Amino acid sequence: MIRRTAAGLFLHDLKNRGLSAWTLSLLLIGFYGILYFGQYYWTPDSPCTDNASCYSEGAVCEAGACIRESRIERGQDWLYRTATVHIDELGWKIGASMDAATRPDGTLVRDENKNGVIDNWEHFGNRWTVYGMLYTLGILLGGAWVCFKYRHNRYQIVRTGVVMMVQTSFAFSLPILLKFFHKPEYYFSYMWPLKIDYLDPKNFAYYGEGLVLWGFFASLAVVPVMTLLYGKRWYCSWVCGCGGLANTFGEPWRHLSNKSSNAWRFERVAIYTVMGVAFLSTALWFASAVLPDSSSLHAAAAGTRKWYGLVVTASLSGAVGTGLYPIGGTRVWCRNFCPMAAFLGIIQKLGRFRIRVKKEMCISCGLCSKYCEMGIDVRSYAQAGLSFTRAACVGCGMCAEVCPRGVLRLENGAKVDPQELSLVSFLDESWKGASSSVAAKI
Amino acid sequence: MKIVIVGNGVAGVTCAMTARQRDPHAEITIVGGETDYFFSRTALMYSYMDRMSRRDLEPYERKAYAEQRIALLRDWVIDHHAEAKTVHLSSGATLSYDKLVLALGATPNRFGWDGINDVKDGLVHFVSMQDLDACERLTPTTREAIVVGGGLIGIELVESLLYHGVKVTFLIREPYYWPLALGREEGDIVTEQLRAHGVDVRYMEEMKRIEVDSVGRVSGVLTNKGETIPCQMLGICVGVRPSIDRLKAFTDPPQLGRGVVVDETLQTSFPDVFACGDCAEIQPIEGRSYTEMIWYSAKRQGRHVAANLFGDQLRYAPPIFFNSSKFFEVEYTTVGEVMALPEGTPTLFRKHPTKPLCQRILHNGDRVLGFNMLGSRWNHEILERWIRERRSPAWVVAHLADAQFDVEFGRANLAACIQRELPLAKEL
Repeated sequence: MIRRTAAGLFLHDLKNRGLSAWTLSLLLIGFYGILYFGQYYWTPDSPCTDNASCYSEGAVCEAGACIRESRIERGQDWLYRTATVHIDELGWKIGASMDAATRPDGTLVRDENKNGVIDNWEHFGNRWTVYGMLYTLGILLGGAWVCFKYRHNRYQIVRTGVVMMVQTSFAFSLPILLKFFHKPEYYFSYMWPLKIDYLDPKNFAYYGEGLVLWGFFASLAVVPVMTLLYGKRWYCSWVCGCGGLANTFGEPWRHLSNKSSNAWRFERVAIYTVMGVAFLSTALWFASAVLPDSSSLHAAAAGTRKWYGLVVTASLSGAVGTGLYPIGGTRVWCRNFCPMAAFLGIIQKLGRFRIRVKKEMCISCGLCSKYCEMGIDVRSYAQAGLSFTRAACVGCGMCAEVCPRGVLRLENGAKVDPQELSLVSFLDESWKGASSSVAAKI
Repeated sequence: MKIVIVGNGVAGVTCAMTARQRDPHAEITIVGGETDYFFSRTALMYSYMDRMSRRDLEPYERKAYAEQRIALLRDWVIDHHAEAKTVHLSSGATLSYDKLVLALGATPNRFGWDGINDVKDGLVHFVSMQDLDACERLTPTTREAIVVGGGLIGIELVESLLYHGVKVTFLIREPYYWPLALGREEGDIVTEQLRAHGVDVRYMEEMKRIEVDSVGRVSGVLTNKGETIPCQMLGICVGVRPSIDRLKAFTDPPQLGRGVVVDETLQTSFPDVFACGDCAEIQPIEGRSYTEMIWYSAKRQGRHVAANLFGDQLRYAPPIFFNSSKFFEVEYTTVGEVMALPEGTPTLFRKHPTKPLCQRILHNGDRVLGFNMLGSRWNHEILERWIRERRSPAWVVAHLADAQFDVEFGRANLAACIQRELPLAKEL
């Protein structure tokens, strides 16, 4: 029953797909649209040489790119202006003030084209600086709230503290510092296949051999070993920024994930598809880099880069992943599309992490399932008294937190109830793969 | 085989699901009048407090019943013919069975308080979906409520009402909270919790008369201390009894006592009729009959009956008792029937000097008999094993940390608890 106070009604609306939730979701999606696609909207990515090549766009060739002067001058294109002028301008100011503070002699040179658009994107002051700041702010404010809300639970405090720290250092300050010292912009908290560019040979020259080697080592050694020991949680809910935002800023919406078996079926198809695409794309990029005389391969590689960036990175992880927080819950991206989560999940099934279930103590209240952001029907295992390891589980620990009977606990260790590792149990993670529905177990 | 199960609570539904695993061909029908689908009664308070929707209370996806080929009928059984092996439903339909399972559940107790017959509105219980409906209907017009009965359901109702900003007076007949299960010290910790949340808890205070306004809605309660406390909602949470009233009107009722009397195979006085859950009164060959009215037992008995439907003839014997609960933020685990032990049973009582954290370990000098743990999480499986293994109290205290079940990094600090001898006292 909704609390009959102004705050109660509003919070219910915001947290349960009411009008305010839809509004917020649209605003977030709009924000991502501007952020990612604002530039594409006006500047075609194919370079031009003369006005004739821009003719069909109704634009003129300006400094190697088609610019639609007339409409910019008329100030019609608010989308374009918001994306490439206002947000970048703000980012520039942040960057410039930092620059002024640290290097008073000032070596920062601002390149502008005649429309006042900042051209030197490579510098640290641009729209991504603003986005990074907002993102970090979201994690810090949300994280502070989460630490307060779950102050009786040390696991939540430690985990949230680490997420906040990793975000402010590795995912925000350090990349800016690196750019500041004219080093490649590298986010040590992200790895292939989530940050797919890190193992793309095209970028190896930019990153340099040290970072490339680290990229291989992190993705192929650190990730599997850590996951075998601690489960995918070490990454997905302790380090990763996507998970970090979900578990902090996204806290009010974590319960909105869909728990139905149909949603689970979709998840399994979607996430392993994206993982397959990510793996094949990387293979293709390597092939196009090593094989000689492969112009068709080059074209295919360029095509995959563009479409992967557009569909997976920009749309699914950004607009859909975060934009749908107030509607679909906080882990839409992590659950259904993240190639890293898929990769970690498979390793997790082989490792030591599990959710331990005390036998016979569950009262089937369903709080665990309700507050599982990954949409796992935890109750189906808890009421059956079965300890389990689900590939999707990011180990946020919220099922154990909300359980009113203390039935659940996250653990790493030798298995007490080893879950059968057949192909069937991979594909259908119900207990021992015996039935198509976990509901069949009592 | 045609199996008809009366009651879609946890006992009935568990029985149906287990029977389906046992026999893929049996024809299984569940008749239940309370709701369309099985829901978790224990979670009513979370729906009342807006932490879950009603749909979230359902432990199984709705399509699971179709997948398991379990037919659900929203209806009440009004008659039974043993000879013909049929039950009659209030809709007029008749179902024939090969095996009948009665999983009727329990009904809240009401006693003969003065004025109760004049009450037309404002009086609630908190065990059924209809109770939740009533609570939700009344809450917006309630500023003050009185909850009577210091047990688990009572405190759940108190917590829910507080969430909605209602001022609550909690009338408890006993000298401290829940002496049926808790010692005085644990009870006092719960009392502190209640008071910290602004509840007006009154011990040894009973309801004498219920007062109503001009339209018959509860308007106040006169207590045995002579005080009249105003309220617009009155929660009666003074225990439950087996729901057998309806059976008394049947053509062929099974033998009834406090509940539906069953033998150790959970079979009633009719050979193909079984009973399980809250409604079953189990009559062992030796010893006193008993009812087990908690969630865990209902589930266990449901599974047990499912085996006996297929002729297993298993004798039901409850394992070492365990239970758990949560009083506001304070978690509670108990193993062994602690307060059923004789008065004066030696007890090691360990309590944290400042936090609501304590452990009560009962023993007979040689071996441990039971545990009452408050304020942190415990693995009841290990505590149970220690009782079975007849571990000495000294050994148990030395190994207590092995049974902790707290979250990672959050292990309760047992070393800070101060231990003393405190023989079991009963104030009932």
